[in-house]
Amino acid sequence: MNTDSRGWRMALVPDSLMNPPQRARAALPDVLGILETNGYGLLHLPPPGKHALLLAVIADQVAEYAHHGYAVAAIGVHGEPRDGLHWRRLTALLRHRGVTLPPRHLIRADVAAAVERQRLADFLAGYDLPPEEQRRWRV
Amino acid sequence: MEKNARRKVALVANCLLNQNAKVCQGANYPGLVNPVVEALRNRGYQLLQLPCPELAFAGVRRWWAVYEQYDTPAYRAHCRRLAQAIAPLIEQHLRRGDEVILIGLDGSPSTGVRFTSSKPDWGGRPNRPEDDWEIVPRRGIWIEELEAELARRGLPPVPATGWALDMGRYDEAGSRRDLEQFLDGRESAAGRRRGKSAAK
Repeated sequence: MNTDSRGWRMALVPDSLMNPPQRARAALPDVLGILETNGYGLLHLPPPGKHALLLAVIADQVAEYAHHGYAVAAIGVHGEPRDGLHWRRLTALLRHRGVTLPPRHLIRADVAAAVERQRLADFLAGYDLPPEEQRRWRV
Repeated sequence: MEKNARRKVALVANCLLNQNAKVCQGANYPGLVNPVVEALRNRGYQLLQLPCPELAFAGVRRWWAVYEQYDTPAYRAHCRRLAQAIAPLIEQHLRRGDEVILIGLDGSPSTGVRFTSSKPDWGGRPNRPEDDWEIVPRRGIWIEELEAELARRGLPPVPATGWALDMGRYDEAGSRRDLEQFLDGRESAAGRRRGKSAAK
């Protein structure tokens, strides 16, 4: 193994976009497909509920990435509690770890899936760390 | 109706959905390992991503390591903490009767299911020649601790296999065939069980 294909970019993804219920699928873009096309990995956030330890574990991982040259974004769902991202809890955990909050893109289920697909693709394609940060870490 | 239907849930190794978690020089894809995602989604599985134990313990710039180097009380305690973080979600699925499977990462010292990497004399200055570790049939440390946590909760063993990404030489087509055989074998067995109970 002499090469490495990592894309250095990833997105926080709510459970409702990882595993959309059958009835909602037609109304939502295929987020995993769009992430794959754009070379992103993902970090899966749990469904609504109390997940204090798991969110802390996820925040630890985000901090490790954010402090070493990786670009982390968040994809939420407009109208879901905390955008499906446990945002209030997660942002407190990230601030505590000295992490600049990831940019957030919200998907709207009341807009045509094709439009939302393009909006998300544009957001992902356009996001990365500044070039000087990339040069510092990505050797 | 969908709410109460029995679901199919795949517990997926963290790096199969995020190759950025891999040790340096270990990423074979930019992000998602798409053949795994496709094989599971095409068969109706929901995905549940497991935490990456190595990333959270030794960081993104960690050295390569084998099973014996991670087999320490501190690393096992760390893995148990991660297992306690994710186990409530797995338990919820198992208690409601969902079909739960685990897709690990064969060859990994942590997430190996059928195979892990071994070299008892690795240690010290990291100047090993290439490919001098061995692949042995054994769980990785993280999978051992996750399974132990599920057992502590009185839950049944979860059928598991590994995507052979860390076996030295990577064969995507072979790995895909292997995973599909595992998944389709489960489908056939489930079909036979349904047939038998209908005949009774």
